[in-house]
Amino acid sequence: MSAVKLLRLASIAILIAVFGVSLLASQFIPYSYATQFREAPNASPSANHPLGTDPLGRDLFTRLLYGTRVSLFLAPAAALVATLIAGIFGAFAGLYGGWPQRIILAAADLSMALPLLFVLLTLRALLPLDISPALSISCTFLLLGLLGWASSLRVVWASARNLRESDFLLMARATGCSSTRTVFKHVLPNLRPVLFAQFWISIPVFILAEATLSMLGLGVMEPLPSWGNLLRGLEDLPAVSANPWRLAPLFAVCLVVICFHMILSAQEDAA
Amino acid sequence: MKTLSKTIGLRLLRLTLLALLGGFLCATLVRFAPGYGVDEREVDPRLSHESVQQIRNENRINSNLIAYYGRYLDGAVHGDFGKSQWLQQPVSTLIKERFGITARSVLLGVFLAWVFAFGLSLASIFFQSFALDFSGTLFSGFLIALPTAVVAIVTVYLRAPVFAAIAVVTFPKLFRYLRNLFAHALEQPYILAARARGIGTARIIFGHVLRLCAPALFALLGISLSLAFGAAIPIEALCDSPGIGQLAWQAALNRDLPLITNLTLLVTLITVASNSLANVKQEAPL
Repeated sequence: MSAVKLLRLASIAILIAVFGVSLLASQFIPYSYATQFREAPNASPSANHPLGTDPLGRDLFTRLLYGTRVSLFLAPAAALVATLIAGIFGAFAGLYGGWPQRIILAAADLSMALPLLFVLLTLRALLPLDISPALSISCTFLLLGLLGWASSLRVVWASARNLRESDFLLMARATGCSSTRTVFKHVLPNLRPVLFAQFWISIPVFILAEATLSMLGLGVMEPLPSWGNLLRGLEDLPAVSANPWRLAPLFAVCLVVICFHMILSAQEDAA
Repeated sequence: MKTLSKTIGLRLLRLTLLALLGGFLCATLVRFAPGYGVDEREVDPRLSHESVQQIRNENRINSNLIAYYGRYLDGAVHGDFGKSQWLQQPVSTLIKERFGITARSVLLGVFLAWVFAFGLSLASIFFQSFALDFSGTLFSGFLIALPTAVVAIVTVYLRAPVFAAIAVVTFPKLFRYLRNLFAHALEQPYILAARARGIGTARIIFGHVLRLCAPALFALLGISLSLAFGAAIPIEALCDSPGIGQLAWQAALNRDLPLITNLTLLVTLITVASNSLANVKQEAPL
């Protein structure tokens, strides 16, 4: 087995393990993410609190597991939204060409020119700062999904354009294949690898964007944990130096993002 | 020459259209934002009924979107982008005060990132060194996995300048792209033929590889500016650098839509202008 394949398998195994543990968090963690142990703020790791507690006395391990669940399940959801938008409009532009193609590509160019974080801040500023945590999660990831489609669209469009000029589509049209059948039977199966790759590429981007937004106080709201608002604890650097286990959320983010990149690099090499 | 001037003309036209469209979107966002037209002076007990009525009439005039956009556009042409609701100062004054700080950080950061990314990727190709290539890939792989805000916090801790943080955020993306670009160029048949004929590595790289990659390098320059401006928000916010990134963050926290929409429009125009410039250079004969 080649080293690249081995790395890819190891990355997939780590991701599955992280997903699995966060999914089963409620089964083996006795506390809620918001439970406060007021007698033990800033506690060191112990049998009851494997990663200690935060300044409000909440168990950091519990918050990390629930935060992992939020970030790891909603980033793919946002990536799915972005890939769906890119897939529908990119395929339409690539297959049909003409003025719809020009309009769609111009919109993609405009969207790519917009600095994502500036636009996210603008749209987030439209919402009140004291929205409920559940709404803040939905808004953050929905905005990421709705704004992060442009670069994927360009890739899908290029693939769809190549397909339009392919011999098998010409033959399908010549034999009287209907548009619907052409799209579902011939185009979509051929676009699937591209769409899958774009979906996979978007996930780490959205994880990092959420982390930055939440660290700025504009992402997922407390008391709901996410990797972003757990990383806010790093702002107190002297406390982090004294309690290095507080770096656990950063370790989790880096590990997961590196695993996603490893899988992508292995796929690129294989291609 | 004629083609080049036509290209420049088309790019300028595109930029103007984008500015108009962006301005319209900004005006629409501000106009339809919750709380628009609500004036605190209306509840001031010192004002007479006539004064309150006059304030309401003034707000009513601004409620028509087209008229509002017309006035916004007219003001923008004269350098008046409205007033910040939070700081109660003209947006243009705030931008003028802070733009220089961000521009300096972004330009220095992009320059530093380019020097390191270009140097490292070229060195790994030039020396065909596995160790150099592996360490570069490992280092950039680690940096790319760090959220920008964490880089900003580390910058504060190390008392490093803001541009260094921007360089750290921009470097891994540039390095990965440049390394793949150079590696791909080295695999071209005519470059393989040149190597087979015994032409020196330096001559191959500077005479063939860089020449082949020049259009993509110019395009990448525009993209790196866009990346750096995006990174400026969390970095300036957390490093307490009084640039437009910090201003945008504070405007978002204070829901100051006139300010943040104008800042977004400004950064978008800068990005599009730099991309267009890179594309014009790309289309021009070398």
